[in-house]
Amino acid sequence: MKDISQSIQKEDHIEKVSGKSLYVSDIKMDHILYAKTVRSIHPKAKILNIEIPDLPKDYFIVDYRDIPGKNHVNMIFEDWPVFAEKQVNYIGDPIMLVVGKNKQTINDLIGQIKIEYQVLKPKFEYKTSVIHKSFKKGNIKKAFTKPFKTISYTYETGYQEQAYIEPQGFIAYPEEDGKITLIGSIQCPYYVKNAVLKTMGFADDKVRVIQPSVGGAFGGKEEFPSVMACQLAVAVHKIGRPIKMIYEREEDMSVTTKRHPSKIQLTAAIDKEYRIQGLKAHVALDSGAYIGLSGVVLARAMIASTSSYTIDNLDISGDVYETNTVPNGAFRGFGAPQMIFAVEMFIHHIAKELNIDPLILRLMHLAKQNDLTSTSGVFRDPIIMKKMIDKAMEISDYEQKVKIYQDPSVFKGIGMSWFLHGCGFTGSGESTHINAKVKLRKDANDQVFLLVAAVDMGQGAKTALKKIVVQTLGIPSQQVSFDNPDTDYVLDSGPTVASRTTMIVGGLLARAALKLKETWIDHQEMEILEQYQQPEYIKWDEDTMVGDAYPAYSWGVNVVEVEVSKVTYQTKVKGIWSVYDVGKSIDDRLVLGQADGGIAQGVAYGYLEVMKHEQGKLRQKTMTDYIIPTAVDMAKTETVIMENPYILGPYGAKGVGELTLVGGAPAVALAIEQAINKKVYKIPATPEYIMELINHDKI
Amino acid sequence: MIKFKLNGKDVEVNLDPSSRLLDVLRNHFNLTGPKEGCGEGECGACAVLVDGRIIHSCCFPLANVADKEVTTIEGFSETKRYQALADAMLEEGGSQCGICTPGMMIAAESLLTQNPKPTDEEIRIGISGNLCRCTGYNMIVKAIQKASKKGDGLW
Amino acid sequence: MVKHVIPKNLQDALNHLYQGDYHVIAGGTDLMIQKRNSADLPPLFHSNMLYLINLEELKYVMKDEAQIKIGSMTSLETLLHHKDVPELLKEVIKEMASPGIRNMATLAGNIANASPAGDSLVPLYLLDAIVVLASTNQTRYLPIEKVIIGPRKTVIQANELIKEIIIPIPHFTQTSWVKVGGRFADAISKVSFAGAVTVSEGIITDFRIALGAVYMTVIRNRAFEKSYKDLSVEELKNQLPQILTRYQELIKPIDDQRSNKNYRNQVASNLITDFIQKI
Repeated sequence: MKDISQSIQKEDHIEKVSGKSLYVSDIKMDHILYAKTVRSIHPKAKILNIEIPDLPKDYFIVDYRDIPGKNHVNMIFEDWPVFAEKQVNYIGDPIMLVVGKNKQTINDLIGQIKIEYQVLKPKFEYKTSVIHKSFKKGNIKKAFTKPFKTISYTYETGYQEQAYIEPQGFIAYPEEDGKITLIGSIQCPYYVKNAVLKTMGFADDKVRVIQPSVGGAFGGKEEFPSVMACQLAVAVHKIGRPIKMIYEREEDMSVTTKRHPSKIQLTAAIDKEYRIQGLKAHVALDSGAYIGLSGVVLARAMIASTSSYTIDNLDISGDVYETNTVPNGAFRGFGAPQMIFAVEMFIHHIAKELNIDPLILRLMHLAKQNDLTSTSGVFRDPIIMKKMIDKAMEISDYEQKVKIYQDPSVFKGIGMSWFLHGCGFTGSGESTHINAKVKLRKDANDQVFLLVAAVDMGQGAKTALKKIVVQTLGIPSQQVSFDNPDTDYVLDSGPTVASRTTMIVGGLLARAALKLKETWIDHQEMEILEQYQQPEYIKWDEDTMVGDAYPAYSWGVNVVEVEVSKVTYQTKVKGIWSVYDVGKSIDDRLVLGQADGGIAQGVAYGYLEVMKHEQGKLRQKTMTDYIIPTAVDMAKTETVIMENPYILGPYGAKGVGELTLVGGAPAVALAIEQAINKKVYKIPATPEYIMELINHDKI
Repeated sequence: MIKFKLNGKDVEVNLDPSSRLLDVLRNHFNLTGPKEGCGEGECGACAVLVDGRIIHSCCFPLANVADKEVTTIEGFSETKRYQALADAMLEEGGSQCGICTPGMMIAAESLLTQNPKPTDEEIRIGISGNLCRCTGYNMIVKAIQKASKKGDGLW
Repeated sequence: MVKHVIPKNLQDALNHLYQGDYHVIAGGTDLMIQKRNSADLPPLFHSNMLYLINLEELKYVMKDEAQIKIGSMTSLETLLHHKDVPELLKEVIKEMASPGIRNMATLAGNIANASPAGDSLVPLYLLDAIVVLASTNQTRYLPIEKVIIGPRKTVIQANELIKEIIIPIPHFTQTSWVKVGGRFADAISKVSFAGAVTVSEGIITDFRIALGAVYMTVIRNRAFEKSYKDLSVEELKNQLPQILTRYQELIKPIDDQRSNKNYRNQVASNLITDFIQKI
């Protein structure tokens, strides 16, 4: 039996390399209409009056008055409107759609729409907390009673834009009996379906969602597409014609969700042996105008507050602040990248203040199997971090370089980050929110079909999930099919998020495949249904945030080497080395590909990608102004996958998708810190920031 | 009336000569290979070959293609050079979500036509106008390097 | 009704410019984006358009004993690989945009666009480039600094087009080009610097500095440069503080979505310092 990790041909390779793969904007339909959104130009304002010009035949306005059900987009928190009614809360807040067959006419009509606003005072500071969370571990009071030293720092992270190369878009069209079908660039077919059902007040069989090829997502297409889908469903319901709405880049960048900017305050109580006895942390996240998923992002950030370390006494709190800016949402890492950056910098800054080698301080606190996690759960599975750290240092020549680069006259640096990522939904999310179901269907020709809602957005889910079924059944690959999800044919196996697809959905498919194998009857139609069952030992209290936050953890080490120019303060990334424990790779090439792409995003989050707003208006709205790495910017990477099979994962697999982004920013920030011999507190550590740090005498 | 060659066939188009070539290819000729990723010549998803050289069709007016040879991924995919690149991309893992892939293939062809044995640095420059958010580029660079080595005599 | 004309040859182009009101377009990399409409719609060119890019007679690079003459429709990518193009100009082009854009773009387009951050303009100013403006009734030869008079403002008349760019063959002993952008390819400059010097037996016989993206146009001050002529390299280096002060007064950088005043200011000074220290 072949080792499952051995790479195979990617399922969709031929269609993608030949340009034949159809993304939503490639799909054409007869008599299709186009829709364009009319949006608020103020960060906060009351809508007093709207004057619509006379509409030519077959041109329509669609707004909140056309919503048959509820004017809200179903996300975790119930505050996203489908269309603004009396008030707008950010520049870009959608007010209405103009729909028609000619784009120029639509533009002209939009130019004639007159909206009378009463401008209100917007808020941009972290003042209005809309969600507060906190949890404790151990005895924080004792830890902070007469500590040897108390060290406190504040760290800041900026926006990050997903910048998927395919902008967001949908086609929606009516079928008989008032059914509406939607095709869109999405990660979660059932999120979209359920959102549309609620907005329209429809029965379950009246909405169908089909996934075409998706050109990258990274979390940006997790919840936001539901907004577009609801708007278009309302429009299709009103007009009765197919409608296509594809965002162009500037619109997409201006109004879709981004990574939450954060401010993280960390205070450590340290004893005489340099042990961090207690940690107090406060995480502030900017949710923008609507809360959406922000509460869950906050939870994940807080849970990551000890990263790959064990600290016995914790007081972790966080707040989501509402501001009149674009609403923020899911982006690969989902709160962890912000926190891991802060924690990794913090432990290094502590080491500096204590005048001890950071490596020694970190090793002292490195988590071990059976340690209590940040939320007083248990690291039940083996942790191979020490082996991973040794490997990472070996392949990067870390020890040599970190000594040489200590010389302040050498503007080179090397940084190493250690991190983990909880796999799957936080706490009891899998059983309470999702309840994943997968189906395997076998037809009379013995062709087996995977019926799951998992979306391949480039990460290779199509290949990996099919591979699990093929390997388990032990039949030729051509005998197994996995078509893009269509909610009319697949059950809800859950959203393609939270690093759950391989581990949870793949796990269910492995079980289903085993059952199918054991009960297989040639030429007989068969169907196997598997439903998620929370392992007994996973106990989680949502309110106190105590227990096992995740069923499993993946681990990583990143090493980044940089050179900073004394003349221009620009950073050149010279090399990137990574070691990952994802349990078992379902396909080495796919995991290595995720590793390359993830760290490119993580490192760029740390030093390159800049997005700022001024009075609620984003300053970077195009691919010219929002800088992501080109091939010339990207350094060579070397990645090692280390096996550490997880008992409950298919073939031992754990989560992969987000892990590889989480450690990039601290690794590059630490490298820059060493190169310039100044402490870095903010990311992105741009040349402008580096210059500021160098100009200030304080170290 | 703008006359040009598209994927080897002579064509004639009676459209506004200032039209973006990308729109002409996608809407008039119903091709799906060239895509719109940014609309401002930055991401390369719209890349096609004009007289064998890569250009960004989202900022290229139809008039400028008069009497020229335009090749999209659809036309390029009929060639042996495409096959060498496609195979290398498969082996190296150069395509994930696939949206940048046709543009990358076009960029690779344009580069290798001019420079059949490029260094890694030259490959990176060759694809510097094609943004990819999934792969971090390295597997694409390896694929192009592999194709140039294996495809001896093709370029 | 907007007219679109693809001229048959240069004379045809000039005749059209003489007869009517045409907006000239070369590669389109600037104009197609500046005037863009929604996707699927043609750009908002509210004027007649004259498409010059395929005038083969304007695609050439000719070198004689004293000058290099570049046909205005020669693509940047062609210039990058042409043996007769000065190394300094090639260094600049190599870091501009991307191969696809370079295959479409021209020096003429860069000049007519007159962007304050236009990279190719910096070496053209430094090398004393002459821009040849042709019309049906005359041919004007203007130094580039007389052609560009402000951000996106030139003296090119409605009936003129850029026919050729003439560069005196440079004979420097040392040149330097530094582009400072947001990333190492495909970026708009935050600051750019070109420097050139001719040193003969330890004496400076030619000293030139040009700065881009820190003012409305490229900065080059011949009066300053002249004052350093005939100094020894040592003496020039001793003058560094005064040199920096003088150029500081010319630099007027801005805060924008790419960078801020302080950074541009300081980096410009650092670039001048670095160049002079390395002579």
